[in-house]
Amino acid sequence: MTRARSIGMGIVHLWPIALLLLSWDAWVVLNGYTSTVAPRPWFVIADVFTGFADYVPSILYTLGMALGGLVGGTLIGFVGAVLVWWSAALSGVVTPAALIIRSVPITALIPIIARIVGYGDPAVLASTMLICFFPAFVFTLSGLAAIPEAGRDLFTVLGANKLQVLSRLGVLYALPNLMVSVRITAPSAVLAAMLAEFLMGTSGLGALFSQARSYMDMERSWGTALVATVVSVLVFVGAQLMERRVESRLT
Amino acid sequence: MNTPTRTSVKVAYSLAGGALLILAAQLIGQFGLAGRAWPPVMDVVSYVTTPAGASLLWRNTLVTFSSAAQGFLLGAVIAVLGAALALVVPIIRPGMDRFAAILHAVPTIALAPLLITTVGREDAPAVIAALSVGFVMFVTMASGFANTSSAHQDLFTVIGANRTRRLARLELPRAVPAFFDGLTLSAPAAILGATIGEWFGAPMGLGLVIVSAMQNYQMALLWAAAMAATIMSLLAYLVFIQLQRVAMRRFT
Amino acid sequence: MSSTATLTPMETKPAEHATRTAVSVNRADKIFTLSRGKKLQALAEVDLEVREGEFVAIIGPSGCGKSTVLRLAAGLDRPTNGTVEIFGAAPHELATQHRLGVAFQEHALLPWASVRSNIALPYKVAGRKVDDARVDGLIELVGLKGFEKARPKQLSGGMRQRVSIARALALSPDLLLLDEPFGALDAVTRRRMNAELARIWGEEKITTILVTHDVDEALILADRVVVMTGRPGRVRTIKNVDFPRPRDAATTRSPEFHELVDELTSLLDANDGDAA
Repeated sequence: MTRARSIGMGIVHLWPIALLLLSWDAWVVLNGYTSTVAPRPWFVIADVFTGFADYVPSILYTLGMALGGLVGGTLIGFVGAVLVWWSAALSGVVTPAALIIRSVPITALIPIIARIVGYGDPAVLASTMLICFFPAFVFTLSGLAAIPEAGRDLFTVLGANKLQVLSRLGVLYALPNLMVSVRITAPSAVLAAMLAEFLMGTSGLGALFSQARSYMDMERSWGTALVATVVSVLVFVGAQLMERRVESRLT
Repeated sequence: MNTPTRTSVKVAYSLAGGALLILAAQLIGQFGLAGRAWPPVMDVVSYVTTPAGASLLWRNTLVTFSSAAQGFLLGAVIAVLGAALALVVPIIRPGMDRFAAILHAVPTIALAPLLITTVGREDAPAVIAALSVGFVMFVTMASGFANTSSAHQDLFTVIGANRTRRLARLELPRAVPAFFDGLTLSAPAAILGATIGEWFGAPMGLGLVIVSAMQNYQMALLWAAAMAATIMSLLAYLVFIQLQRVAMRRFT
Repeated sequence: MSSTATLTPMETKPAEHATRTAVSVNRADKIFTLSRGKKLQALAEVDLEVREGEFVAIIGPSGCGKSTVLRLAAGLDRPTNGTVEIFGAAPHELATQHRLGVAFQEHALLPWASVRSNIALPYKVAGRKVDDARVDGLIELVGLKGFEKARPKQLSGGMRQRVSIARALALSPDLLLLDEPFGALDAVTRRRMNAELARIWGEEKITTILVTHDVDEALILADRVVVMTGRPGRVRTIKNVDFPRPRDAATTRSPEFHELVDELTSLLDANDGDAA
C-alpha cells in the first residue's frame, strides 16, 4: 500500500524526466544518429559511472568556484546594501552601478574579466562573485526596507542608534531575504563558473566539456553536461534547505 | 509635497553617481590602473563612432536582438500555456514544477551541444534564450495563478462559473501583474541566453564578436560589444518595468 | 411576510402549499481535519428550515460556526454528517444553475473591472447576454448612479459592499446569502446600509440568510433570528421578529425593540459563559 503509493508519488513528480530520457533515446534511434552526432542516454550515463574518477577533480573545482563566488558575492552584495541603506548620497553611486551590473550579460562580462585579471582561478571566482552580487544587494535592500515603522519607532523611543537598529532589527529582516537570493543565484553561480572555465579552458567542468567537444568525444561531452546539471541541482537543493532552516529559525 | 522633492533628490544623486562612475572608468583606463584590458571610455566611444565600428556593432546587435526577441516570445508563450495547463489539470502540476526547477538548474551551456545537433547553429541562440525565459515565466505565472484569493474563488463557485469562464474572467486577469513581473525578470535572461548560444559557432551576433575580440585582443571592440549587450538588456528591463507598473495599477 | 410570487421563472408552485421550503439543514455536523490529524468540530447537529420568501438572520459569537452554515448552504462546503437541501436539491446545483446570490464580508470585487462590469459579472459567467436595463436598475437601487465607471479601489468601503450586494442580486437569485456584508464598516455607515438593504429587500423579496454578530442589524432586517452557540456551533434558539415593515427609527427606538435586543444579547453572553 505505502509502496504503491510512493511509486505513484514518484510518477507524479518525475514523469517529465522519464519522458525526456525516453524521447531522447527514441530521437537518436529513429534518426539513426551515430555516437559522434548524438549518443544514446544509456551510454552517457554509463560513461559517467565508469569514468567517474575522471570527472571528480573537475566537479570539485567547479563546485569550489561556484560556492566561493556564491559566498563572496552574497557578502559583498549584503555590505553594499547596508551602505546604501545607511547613506542617501552613497545610494547615488551604488544604485546606478548595481543597475548596470544587473544588465551586463555574464557572457559579456567574463571575457573582460579574463583579460583584466588574466586566465585562471581569480577570473573564474570574480565572474561567479559578480553574478551573485546583484541579487544579494537587491534582496538585502528590500529586506531592510521592510523593517516596519513600529519596530523602528520602538528603537527610537529606546534611544537606539542606527548601528543597533541594523544589528537587532535589520539583520532579522534582511537575512531571510538574503537566503532567497542565495537560492536564486546558486544555479547561476554554477553556470558562471562553467562559462568562465569553458572560455579559458584551464580546469573545471567547463574546461572538461570544451576538451571533450574538441576531441569529438560525445559521450564525455554529454556526460559533462549531465554531471553539471546534477551538480547545479544539488547546489540549488542545498541552498533551498539552508533557506528553510534560516526561515524556520527566524520566523 | 515631501515625496516629489525626495524623488528628485534621488534622481539627482543617481545622475551624479552615474557621471561619477563614467569618470572613474575613464580615469582607470587613462592611467592604466587595470592594465591594457581596461581602455579609457573615450577610446571605446570613439571606436563606436567610426563608420566601420558602428556598422559592425549595429549588424551584430540586430542579430542578437532578433534571436533574443524570438526566444523571448517563444519561451513566454510556451511557459504561459504550460502554467495555464498545470492550473487546469492539477495532476500534472507537481511533475511540471519539478521539471521547471531542474530546467532552471541546468547550466544553459550544457544544453548547447544538444541544441546544436537538434536545431542547428543558427537557431541555437534563440532556443537557448527561449529556455532561459521559459523557466522564469513558468515559475512567475504558476505563482501568479496560485495566488487568487479564496474569496474570489468562492465567488466564482457560487455564481456557477465553469472552468473556462473561471480561467478567462478571474485567473488570467489576476495573473497579468505576474506576467509582466516575469517579462521584466526574463528580458536580461533572453539576451544572456542568446549570447551563450552564439558562443557555440553561430555565424553572427554580439556573443561571437565578444569572444573573437577577446581572443584577438581588440579591447575597444570587446568593450563596445559588451556595452551594446548591456544597453540592450538595460533598455529591455526599463521598458518592461514601466509596463509592469502600468499593469500593477490597472489590475490590482 | 410570505410571498411565493413571481421572482423566478423556474419556479413551479405546488398548489397545496402557500410556501415551499427553500433551505433545509438536517442534523448537520461539520468536522474540519487540521494538520497532524487534529480535528475541529465546527457544527453539531444543526437544524434549520427557511421558507421561501423569508429573511432569516443567524447571530452568534465569533467562531460559533455561523459562517460555516452559510458555506454549507452555498455548496462551498459539505456537511460531515447530515444533509443540506436547497429547494429539494443539492446546494451546488443552485450555483451551477446561476440561481444563487452571495455577498461576502470581503467584497471580492474584481479590482480590474468597473462598478458596472462587476455587477454584470454573473451574466457573463452564466453565458447570458448582459441585461443593461437590469444592471442600470441595480446601480440605481444601491445608490451608485454616477459611479458606473469607477474601479473598486476608488470607492469607499460602504460603496464597495453596495456593489457586492448589487452583484449578488444581478440574476434575481432564488436564494441570497449574506455573510457579514457590513462587518468591516463603521457603525454609522453600517446602519445606513441596513436601512438600504431593508429597502432593497422590500422591493425584491428574495429568500435571504444573513449571518451577522450585530443584534440590531438582525432585528432590523429579519423575519426570524437564529441564535447559535459556539464550539461546536449549535442552534440555541430561534426568535420570531414581528415588527412591522418598514422598520424605521420609530421601530428601533421602541421599548419592544430594546427588550428584544437585550434578550438576544443576554443569550449571546450566556453562550460565552457556557463555552468557557
